[in-house]
Amino acid sequence: MTELATRPAGGVLVEVLRNQFMGVVRELGQTIRNAGHTVFVKETSDFGAYLVSPGGEVFMTPDDMGIFITIGTPFATAIEAIEDYRDGDICVTNDPETSGGMVTHLPDVFMWTPIFAPGSDRPLCFAFCFIHATDIGGLVPGSVSPGATDMFQEGFILPPSKLVAHGVLNTELAAILRANTRVPNLNWGDFRAEISALGLSRRRMGELVARYGAETIAVGIEGVLDYAERQARSIIEGIPDGTYSFADYLEADFAEPRPPIRIALDLTVRGSDLVLDFSRTDPQVPLALNLATYGKAGHNMLVPGLVNYFRSRMPDITYNSGMVRPVDVVAPRGSLLNPEPRAPVGARQATMFRVPDVILGALSQAVPDQVPACGGGQGAVMLVAAPEFDTGTERVSILQPLIGGSGGGPVGDGIDGVDFVAGFYRNIPTEVLESDVPVLVERYELRESGGGAGRARGGLGLAFSVRVLAPRATLTCRGMERTRFQPWGRSGGQPGQPGTATLHTAGGTVRELGKIDVLEVGPGDVLEVRTPGGAGFGDPLERSVEAVVADVADGFVDVETAKDRYGVVFTGGRVDRAGTASLRARRRSRQVGRPRPPFDLGPERTRFESCWTPELQDALNAALWRHPAGLRSLLRDLAHRRLDGRVGLGTPDVGHAGRRGTPLAPADVGPVVDAIVDDLRTRLYR
Amino acid sequence: MGVSVGVDVGGTFTDFVVCDGVDGSVREMKVPSTPGAPAGAVAEGFSRLLAEGIEPGEITRFAHGTTVALNTLLQRGGARVGLLVTRGFRDVLVLRRLRLADAPGFHVRQAPPLVARRDVREVDGRLLADGTEVRPLALDEAVAAAADLVADGCEVLAVCLLHAYRDPAHEQRVGEAIRHRFPELHVSLSSEIWPQQREYERTQVTVINAHVAPIMERYFSDLEKELRQMGVGTGILSTKSSGGVMSAARAARRPVETLLSGPASGVVAAVEFGRAAGLDALVAFDMGGTSADIGLVDAGGARISTEATVGDFPVLLPAVDVSSVGAGGGSVATLDAAGVLKVGPRSAGAVPGPACYGRGGTEPTVTDAYATLGVLTHLLGGQVPLDLDAARRACGELGERLGTDAVGAAEAILEVATANMYARILPILAQRGVDPRELALLAYGGAGPTHAFRVAREVGFGTVVVPPSPGTFCALGCLLADLRADFVATLYTDLARLRDEELADALRELHRQASAWAREEDAPGASVTFGADMRYRGQSYELAVPLSSDLGEGACRRAAEAFADTHQRVYGYADPDAAIEVVNVRAQLLAPIAKPSLLHPGAGSARPDASQAERRTVYAGGSAVTALVVDRSSLVPGGQLEGPVVVTQYDTTTFVPPGAVVETDAVGNLIGRFDD
Repeated sequence: MTELATRPAGGVLVEVLRNQFMGVVRELGQTIRNAGHTVFVKETSDFGAYLVSPGGEVFMTPDDMGIFITIGTPFATAIEAIEDYRDGDICVTNDPETSGGMVTHLPDVFMWTPIFAPGSDRPLCFAFCFIHATDIGGLVPGSVSPGATDMFQEGFILPPSKLVAHGVLNTELAAILRANTRVPNLNWGDFRAEISALGLSRRRMGELVARYGAETIAVGIEGVLDYAERQARSIIEGIPDGTYSFADYLEADFAEPRPPIRIALDLTVRGSDLVLDFSRTDPQVPLALNLATYGKAGHNMLVPGLVNYFRSRMPDITYNSGMVRPVDVVAPRGSLLNPEPRAPVGARQATMFRVPDVILGALSQAVPDQVPACGGGQGAVMLVAAPEFDTGTERVSILQPLIGGSGGGPVGDGIDGVDFVAGFYRNIPTEVLESDVPVLVERYELRESGGGAGRARGGLGLAFSVRVLAPRATLTCRGMERTRFQPWGRSGGQPGQPGTATLHTAGGTVRELGKIDVLEVGPGDVLEVRTPGGAGFGDPLERSVEAVVADVADGFVDVETAKDRYGVVFTGGRVDRAGTASLRARRRSRQVGRPRPPFDLGPERTRFESCWTPELQDALNAALWRHPAGLRSLLRDLAHRRLDGRVGLGTPDVGHAGRRGTPLAPADVGPVVDAIVDDLRTRLYR
Repeated sequence: MGVSVGVDVGGTFTDFVVCDGVDGSVREMKVPSTPGAPAGAVAEGFSRLLAEGIEPGEITRFAHGTTVALNTLLQRGGARVGLLVTRGFRDVLVLRRLRLADAPGFHVRQAPPLVARRDVREVDGRLLADGTEVRPLALDEAVAAAADLVADGCEVLAVCLLHAYRDPAHEQRVGEAIRHRFPELHVSLSSEIWPQQREYERTQVTVINAHVAPIMERYFSDLEKELRQMGVGTGILSTKSSGGVMSAARAARRPVETLLSGPASGVVAAVEFGRAAGLDALVAFDMGGTSADIGLVDAGGARISTEATVGDFPVLLPAVDVSSVGAGGGSVATLDAAGVLKVGPRSAGAVPGPACYGRGGTEPTVTDAYATLGVLTHLLGGQVPLDLDAARRACGELGERLGTDAVGAAEAILEVATANMYARILPILAQRGVDPRELALLAYGGAGPTHAFRVAREVGFGTVVVPPSPGTFCALGCLLADLRADFVATLYTDLARLRDEELADALRELHRQASAWAREEDAPGASVTFGADMRYRGQSYELAVPLSSDLGEGACRRAAEAFADTHQRVYGYADPDAAIEVVNVRAQLLAPIAKPSLLHPGAGSARPDASQAERRTVYAGGSAVTALVVDRSSLVPGGQLEGPVVVTQYDTTTFVPPGAVVETDAVGNLIGRFDD
């Protein structure tokens, strides 16, 4: 046992053990990555590795592999679900309910093992990991169906159980796991990788315990958590006290028109504490978009954006859940961010990608010069299902992750083609894709002029065009968003271009689809998807002429945009400096005296919120919350149908008291909802 | 056999190892590098050799490793590249594989591509994955685009068209037309550089090659001219990232193959010295001032990776698998705002350097920690005394803030630096699926032997090896490297669908390329081995599988068996019912060269006399102990010493802590083991 580690000040012990824990957890991640067999592991890095304290906090997780959404994962409920840990146990679950929001959708199969000090019967800590399994049963291959209306359609549910008990595999449970998937061999390959990786971590932690002693390790675990907490608190203390509110929307209209779903946040900073209050968020939906966080403080899916912010302020911040100890969360039961048990959750990544936008919007009011404008905010993955000639079976393959550009910010332009929060995706080489799947990729490049204009330009989105060569095929693209409500610009910066989906049929017709969910296509049809661009930051007239000239030379910005948005004039392919100076001066003089709004939300969202004001939306939610959770989404849809006309949006629902011109006051909304409920009752019982 | 000269051009010194084939003597020389014109230091070294009486005609072999290509790439100081790509794929270099490097803060930036978007032009013409042409090549358009790029100021051109790994015809026609039109212009074609599937990675290596080629051509032509003027007529061999060598003429055309040759040469030497010590599974550990390079060696020699990265870029070509850890002798220790001790990644560099260098540095470094503990007292064989007081002062000031003394602070620095390495080395080993307990640590570089035992104990390596001349190890590696070349073809098919003769044809074609290479490089006695990258369908990772050279009937069956064996060995199971995919087939050509003897003439004759040897107080594990101080040249095979021992030599110091023993083997390696 090394006495040195304990002898000097805590600052040495913390750094020594921090590094050693990092070595162990990186080894865990690396082992899963090596032995994990599926595309989810390799191409979308959909796996995680964690060392977890007895209290359920992540005290170490890799910052360079797997998904980047690991900080704050709540492990306590899953840990407590098993009563009699013994050395050599491997536990498994994929159940959001009995794991208390550790699992947020069924394909994520978590496993963990207790780590004991010799002679002790209480675990010193735990090693955890998860892999997104290719298929876990349910309605559709891959188990993720946005249209699922409850969790039972999303696959097999396994509450916390011992898959390996004291070193012995529970073969009955293994058989159950194999029986409940369309791809037993692939899944079992992944599970085997998890089991062996956890065994390795158990051995490694055992070596550390042998070297330093259990007491020192326990002190070290608390030490590294405290360290991260202190670092995070020092950052939060730099944020001015106050409450900062922001909201953003999911369009969620892939299958049918529906009112946008609002995620609303009141972010409060008091000293070194921070509260994320999502109380004004819309009710849960009968779609697989709900995020099963169980309202856990610092939940990993409610803090992205904030964790990015911490990393920006302190790039070497200790990467563990101590970071989110100062973060409290309020997410009422029955809301999109804390649905009732067994609500559908499979496609929750669309929601997961919107939460950081909301956090960013709130933070940007507190520390405007420290965070970027909104990014593309989309993490859609396009899949193709086509029959295989050899076997006749349908084969589902990933085509590409389709993410947007990132927002421009205080340190520079947004990143082209990659958004911060979706930065863990890898794409698939076109040459591999075309060898695997009967498609021809016509285009896979940046979407020119797609980034929002600003002193710092938003990152460009992607343009992906795919021609189907099979006699028939189904394209799905789950999680397309921001085709109406654009990524919002900041401090004079302009919104990023919205996403689009266009079908060019073999017959020569062109259909603008807006977004797709599931699309049947025939041979020769070409689907072109363009992803949202990141928004701009700062006044585009303040962007240097040289930067605009370079953007034009590189084709990132076209000549028209250069003139319209940036006031940079080109004549015959060359920049006209005098013309530019005078145009910019004219534009600036027009801005004088006009206050610059903090956000540019884009025309669609601005129009929507001028009709459905935040106050009206709050009033509607308050009214809905008086009724059972399962009913709220339906009531909300009906209320919108009844009131959209009255607030000046779309077509009035004829036959009801919704004539344009009668202003709707927040106090009027409750009675309307009550009337709808009465109507329903009358109809039902008549 | 005449005189062989191995040269490693480094940032500070250009190292020479000179082997006399007649009397078997080996000696080393360090010449200050001339970074502006690197050929200068090489020429200077040769003129010193000639001044010492070596006849120019005696020099029959000159193999050298240069960082010219690497530095050009890292500084992006090469030629302006114009790139032609398939229409629809203009941003292949911007999009790369999308994924950001780590959990991002908002300040994360992707490195800009090596070719600006304005210098990328799209060309019509399209193949399918099976080579079917669905759109004819627009050759005139391609040539016009090339002319446009040249008119815009591009100095070299690169061409990478989709599926050119399958059928290079489009690329070749574009290449011929451009070369005809611009005979002086360097043109790199992806199908010539490395015809492997995956367009981003293939484009990247093609572009890198074009970017650095003119600089490398100039470097070699300067060097040849200087050597010719001195009368040295032997051909120049250049080391490769794969651990082999090739002619300078080829290196000038294909500089992308040399990017990682520096660390590769060290690992090549590690293989030989490990074998001499009877160890074939080891980690080569090259620790310098700012970083430590980790390379893996197993029974098959140096591990080869096809996923290497250089600076911001992936490099598909086979390279000795070396990972870099940002911790070296110059790594600076600081306390952060929360009072936690950090070591590195910032390095004190050469100026001001560690405090004990007496060049104005005041911050404590790893080297200062060893000076404070009494392990280091001098540099360069005693020529440069260290300022030990400055080291103790720097550590002492840190100690005050940690609540300990200078010795306590020094121990803490080393403890943290070592934990840092543990955090990096463990996942590297895990990625390669090896267990440190079964490996030896072979340490070289200026700081490697000083720090090796600590790292070994922390990570769990069983044995420590310090070769005879750790400071010029890479230069020696240049002389130990064989002629080597790699060839690849992508098949990407189900093994069940592949006919025996198709597989055999693909391998025969690779063999033909290898034979042509051997002829051009004048490599008699070359042998060719085959391999394939295979996986079960649905898996995302391929396994490198050795293939039989029997290309007759049953070739596919033999490949399937070889894959099942490999899979069983690596993952512990094989699935007889699962479909197998063959992604790539590979060939490797190896032409062994006559290697100089490893016997180290410096290994002196006298057994150290314990009663005569110097002793001094060093601190180990926090307490003062009396260590024997011996000169490396006084150690002879068979003698065994118990730590604590400080072994001094010209270019490094080995510290053997209490609880470890060392002995010297036949070639002069120090072999260390732990008692406990």
